[in-house]
Parts: sequence; C-alpha cells; structure tokens
Amino acid sequence: MTDFYQTGVITTLHQLGKSSLERLESELHGFAKTRPIALVLPALYSEFEGPAMPGIIKELGKVNYLNEIVLALDSASESQFQRVRELMSPIPTEVKIIHNKGKRITEVYETLARNGIDVGVQGKGRSVWMMYGYVLARGRSDVIALHDCDIVTYNRELLARLCYPVANPNLDYVFCKGFYSRVSNKMNGRVTRLLVTPLVRSLQQLVGPHAFLAFLDSFRYALSGEFCMTTELARVNRIPWDWGLEVGSLAEVHRNYSPRRVCQVDIATTYEHKHQILSPDDASKGLMKMAVDICKSVFRTLASEGVVFSDGLFKSLLVTYLRHAEDTIMKYEADATINGLSFDRHEEAKAVETFTNAIAMAAQAFMESPMGTPLIPNWNRVVAAIPDILDMLKMAVEEDNK
Amino acid sequence: MDDFLNLIVEPINELFLRFKTFVPNFLAMLVILLLGILLAYIIKKFLVKFLSAIKFDNWSDRMGFTKLMRQGNLWGKPSQMVGALAFWLLLIVTLMSSLNALQIAVIDNLVNQFFGYIPRLFSSAIILVVGFVLTRFISRAVLITAANSGFHYAKLLADAISTLLLVLIVAMVMEQLQIAPGIVLAAFSIIFGGIVSALVIAFGVGGIPAARRIIEKDVLDKGKEEAKDEIEHI
Repeated sequence: MTDFYQTGVITTLHQLGKSSLERLESELHGFAKTRPIALVLPALYSEFEGPAMPGIIKELGKVNYLNEIVLALDSASESQFQRVRELMSPIPTEVKIIHNKGKRITEVYETLARNGIDVGVQGKGRSVWMMYGYVLARGRSDVIALHDCDIVTYNRELLARLCYPVANPNLDYVFCKGFYSRVSNKMNGRVTRLLVTPLVRSLQQLVGPHAFLAFLDSFRYALSGEFCMTTELARVNRIPWDWGLEVGSLAEVHRNYSPRRVCQVDIATTYEHKHQILSPDDASKGLMKMAVDICKSVFRTLASEGVVFSDGLFKSLLVTYLRHAEDTIMKYEADATINGLSFDRHEEAKAVETFTNAIAMAAQAFMESPMGTPLIPNWNRVVAAIPDILDMLKMAVEEDNK
Repeated sequence: MDDFLNLIVEPINELFLRFKTFVPNFLAMLVILLLGILLAYIIKKFLVKFLSAIKFDNWSDRMGFTKLMRQGNLWGKPSQMVGALAFWLLLIVTLMSSLNALQIAVIDNLVNQFFGYIPRLFSSAIILVVGFVLTRFISRAVLITAANSGFHYAKLLADAISTLLLVLIVAMVMEQLQIAPGIVLAAFSIIFGGIVSALVIAFGVGGIPAARRIIEKDVLDKGKEEAKDEIEHI
C-alpha cells in the first residue's frame, strides 16, 4: 500500500486500495472507441527466447481494448522475423512487426540518411521513433503506449494502468509515465536511485530553481521505460537514440506541454527485468555507458534552456553529487533494513564511484562538443524533408507483414 | 550415276556455302552482343554514379518517384533503378543490332520495326515523367490551397485531382505507344465523360434549390420594381 502524497509539479496517480483490472479494462474498452490505443514494443529477438516475451504475449492475448500493436524487431534475421510473426499470432489484436534489418526497412533508413535525416544507430531510441512513425502513417490510433519487452513480472494491469490516464478523455493528460519499485530481495534501479535523483538535486543546488530540474525531480522513476502519450506528442517530440532516450523524451515533453498535462502512474507492485552490468572501466557498455548518455542529455537540455556550464560548475557538481549520493546510500540502507532486504553498501559505493566518473566524462564530452549527440528529428520535420516517407514506411511494413 | 551423286552432293555443298556465309555473320553477332553488353554495363555504372552525384535519389524522394517505385514493390535506389533500366534497354538494342548482323530477312524486318518504335517509346517516357511531375505539383498546390482555405476534404480533393490527371497521362502514354488506341480512347472517353456527367448531375440536382432561390429572388425583385412603377410620380 502506497501513500497518497502528491510530489512535484506533475500529477501522481497512486495505486490505492484493491486493484480492479476488470473495471479499468471495461472503461478502457469504452474510451478506445473514441481514442483508439496503439501499443508499441521495442524488442530484440533474444527476448523471445528468454522468459519475458512468452509471458507478455500470453497477457496481451487477453487484452481487448487495443487497436493495434506495433513491434520493432532488432537483431533478427529473416527466419527469426518469421518466427516472431508466428509467436505473436495468438494475440487477437492486429500486430505489425517492423523488421529493422529487413530489406525494405533498411531502404527506408537509407532514404532518410541520403536526405540528411540522422536517425542514429540501432537501439531502442531509433526503434521507438520508427514505431511512432508507423502509427502516424496508419493514422488509426490517438494514443500510444510503450513498454519494454524484458519485463519478467508482466501482467496486463500494468498496461491498463499505463493507458488509462491518457485514454480517459475526462482526465486530459497528454503524457503519462509509469513508476514502480524495483525491488526483489534487494533494491535494484541503481541508475535512478544513485545517479539521476542525486544529480538533479545537486544541479538544483548549484544553478538554483529551474523548471526542467523541478519537472525531472517530480518523477518517481524518471528512467522507467513505460509511458503513454497522445499521437500528437509523438509527432512533435524529438528523441535521443542513445541511453538518453528517457530523459530526452521528458525534456521534449517539458518543452512542448504544461506539467499540468503530465502525470505518472503506479503501474506495478513488483517489476523485474534484465539487469545491466556496471562496467566501471569501460564507458562503451553497461551502466557506465547509460550514465554518461543520461548525464550528457541532462547537460544538453539545461544548456538549451540557458544554463551556463563552466569548468568550475562541473567541478563543484562532482563534489556536490558525491555528497548527495553518499547521503542517498544511507537513506536506502535504512529503507532496506526496515524492509528486511539485503543491502550491499560496498556495491552501492562502487556504483556511486562509477557514476561520478560518468559525470566527469559526460562533462568533458559536453565541454568539447556542446551540441553532442543530435536528437532524432520529429516526424513533422522528416515529412517536410521527404513528403512521402510515411507512405513508404507504411508500404514497407505492410509488405514485410504479408 | 553422276546425276545421282550430284543430287546428294549439291545440297551438301549448298549447305556448306550457306554455313560459310552464316558463320562470319554469327561471329559478328556474338562480337556485337559482347561489346554491347560491356558497353551497357559501363554506361549503367557511369549513369548510376552520375545520377548519385547530381542527387537524383533525393530529387526522386521529394518528387514522389521513390514512392511510385515502392508502390510497385521495388525497394532499390531510384538511381540504380534508372541504371538497370538503361542497361536492359541498351541490351535489347544490342540484341536487335546483333540479330541484324545475321542478315536474315524476317529478323531484319523485325529489327526495323523495333527501331521504328523507339521514338514512340522515348516520347511516351517523356510524357510520363513530365506528366507525373506536373501532377504532383498540381496535387500539392491544390492540397495546400484547399487546406489553407479551411476546406475539410482537402486531401480527398487533391487525391481526386491527382488520380484524374494520372488517368489522363496514362491514356496519353498508351495512345503514344499505339497500344490498342481505339480501346484506350473509348475507355478514356467513357471514364472522363462519366465523371463529367456525374459532376453535372451532382451539381445540377444539388443546385436546384439554390437556382430556384436565385430565380425567385430575381422575379420578386422585378415584381417590386414593376409595382413601384405603378405609382405616378409628379
């Protein structure tokens, strides 16, 4: 049982009392008649071989309010693509699969590249962007929900709660982010707990009150991969193609909409997915890479809103962050102790050390190149450059799925 | 006995003589064919490079040629597609030229017919390309104007105009290619005539109340004027 306290500038929708999946699904079924809902799933073929995806497919088979499901498949050969089509076939909702390595989609990427549209390298960001494009091209849905495909503890209540705030026309939200506690026998979610929150609060301390920092700090799980939004937002939002996807998306939402139209919803009591290695010595993989990308995204967003970064500010940031992170470790240790969870303080301290290095690396990268990694342009801009691109994308997916 | 031998030897001799004249022709055909294939390949490579250099692919993406290719389930680059088209066209020309080298009357006739048809092929290709570009331009202009005027069915109107113009262009191309010109003309007349008749009926029937109002207003106004005239002014 959670509390009902409202934090920050956005609305928090809690899980209060007994859950009622039947009521939610019944209402969603009604809302979907006027606001059709699309579910987009960024997936790797390996996730179909693991424990998560079979469970997700089983649960999605029971969902009756979705208008369409779009799955972007990465790292899959032609035969694996056909296998995924077979695996997804029990779902009664119409499923379309974007085969990122397929001949036709590759040609769509080449069309974008030769017209000067940089969509980055293979990854979740690029897949998500492509799925938005396909949903826009079809023009059959007004709401887009997204969740990862590695959730081992998936149940359809997660999806229902995620969709509800945006699908319900009486609530008038344009963006909804899911949150949950990442707890098993210990506390997970190190990047959110030990990097994002202490970093945001350190920046608030150094640069003073700032609308974007207050917005970011309002999210209980800013890095959660589950969110729901209107298709209009998918059209105007630019997204990063690297690990800065979640923070970058929030930055775009903050830029384009009032926080009053943004909410976060408690979507699960337990949440378990695959874990990344820390990789403290190699900034090209694991949590280290994720941390560097996230920090760069935060710095870039703040700089674009007029915050002046200097060497001095970054030096102070490292020290301030370290102090905040150490305090945070103590808080979580106490929280773990009272709940009987195991807590490896040494591992947590190692993570903080790694994240401190990541901030330093991101700061250096930002000073060397403030523009950094460009965001993938929004679909409005792409359509202005190539008027037929959405039709081409639609044709490519339809042909692949024949 | 000699006569009998002659009967056997003469055809063989004739066959041998024919073979002697045929072999050089055949070799010439092979050489022309090989050189033609080589030349077609070089031209194709050059053309693709040239088209890439002038950013033909980008132009095609913007003008809708790429979309047209995709609609035909062709998923290569437009420049490569043009290169392949040029290659096969040159190959056909080469094949025809090489067959000409055989100096067989029937084939010569066929080759002449083919080369006579080439100008029509070119002119129809030009009609198709220019027509398509114009159609795209007009369709987008209609879309933008209608959308800016707040017309609800702007996209539908633009698509309808685009379809009508494409029908017109296809009919012109078919006529140019002399593919069943009578049928094409008749089909075109029926389709276009049908559309115009449908519009006449739609606007005519739909416009009856408006026309009645205009006429009634006109008559009423005249009546008022006449009534006014009955008053004598001093």
